[in-house]
Amino acid sequence: MSVNHNLRDAVSLTSEVTHHVARLRRYALVLTRDMTAAEDLVQETLLKAISKADSWQPGTDLRPWLFRIMHNTFVSDLRRAKTRSDAAPDLPDPVVPDHQQTQLELKQVLDALHQLPEAQRKPIILIALREMSYAEAARALDVPLGTFMSRLGRGREALRRIMSGVSKSKLAVLNNKEKSS
Amino acid sequence: MTDNKQFDPELEADTELMAYVDGTLPPDRMNAVEARLAADPAARAATSAWRHHDNLIRQMGQSADGQPVNLRTAALERELVAKLRARKRRAMMFSPVLGQVAAAVFLFAAGWGAHAMITEMRGPASYPQFVNAAIAEHTAYRQANLLQASFTSDEMDRAVEWMSEQMQRKISSPKLEQYGYQVQSARLLNTEEGPLGIFYFLDAEGQTITLAVKPHDDSVPDYRFRIVDVNNERLAYWNDEGLDYSLLANVTTAMMTTLAAAVSP
Repeated sequence: MSVNHNLRDAVSLTSEVTHHVARLRRYALVLTRDMTAAEDLVQETLLKAISKADSWQPGTDLRPWLFRIMHNTFVSDLRRAKTRSDAAPDLPDPVVPDHQQTQLELKQVLDALHQLPEAQRKPIILIALREMSYAEAARALDVPLGTFMSRLGRGREALRRIMSGVSKSKLAVLNNKEKSS
Repeated sequence: MTDNKQFDPELEADTELMAYVDGTLPPDRMNAVEARLAADPAARAATSAWRHHDNLIRQMGQSADGQPVNLRTAALERELVAKLRARKRRAMMFSPVLGQVAAAVFLFAAGWGAHAMITEMRGPASYPQFVNAAIAEHTAYRQANLLQASFTSDEMDRAVEWMSEQMQRKISSPKLEQYGYQVQSARLLNTEEGPLGIFYFLDAEGQTITLAVKPHDDSVPDYRFRIVDVNNERLAYWNDEGLDYSLLANVTTAMMTTLAAAVSP
């Protein structure tokens, strides 16, 4: 323990938290599909992290701890939304990047993703964002690694099936248009 | 290709293909997996789709990076850093394994023997002597910046009144005269964890005692009275009635206990 060590430690903690918040924001955006809702989710997560700071074990990775708080916050928000309305909450139209070629496909993937069970959706997003290893992501979701891998695999294939159906219906629409013209 | 072939149920349990897509496949398996993909259209279709969907999802996530800074989020981020930093310090202070280190950390706050302690803790061979001197100077400079008030021996009533007000706790003037120690001075530091009061005592033979007092953090459990050896000195620390105490002296364990009892009767 030295003063220099303490100063270095303080700087690295600040930079670590900044990086994690950027990661949380990316994850929140895919979860909520809306930038304002994503920022709200990040802020709510940070508020909870502040109040639970004593539950973090120094020396352990902050990332799974923060993501776990975000998962729980997001799930609580969904439950509250469901309580307010018998119907499932309407998903907002996703905010997508301005690339014309991918915009439609991205919307379709996000729509398909939100048809999946929560347990399969989160592993897909965490791994797609390249924010964590399999083991870290499993810890963040509080599930054994085997369960995580199983959910990731099932989720990816389920997403592929849904997207395959979307592609076929797009093709059918195009074929019908060609026949009628 | 039929759908049944395209969606082979075994694919969803194929962790090797997933590792290939996610870039975590061990290099020694790469050739084998690529050979398999070349010969297996279903596996090729699956990995291609997984990767494509991942790319789209990642692209969506990365669009958050270009957003303007949200001031409230930035403020919460700073608050979290401060909380986590305090958490790290507390964990160090109250870890049984690091009891001796914890004592030393408290002594740092008291400004006692920084030079000697750093040498002790880092080991004499960790860096040259002149670096120790620089660190000691840096510590002294930082302590000076934390100093909120200092009091001479004839200002003790004012000192305890001031400290009580700053700590929102009743601080009593430590009475160690009956054991031959006269108070020399007192200081109040404004540390990141809150106010820290320090009293310096001296006996007729020039032996010193340093007593540090701070409000107990309610989120931290109480800890029992302990005496540890630090750098050939005795350090006692405990908490009582909402206050944390640290007492440093070169005396026997029995005398240390007596002095501690006199500080917080």
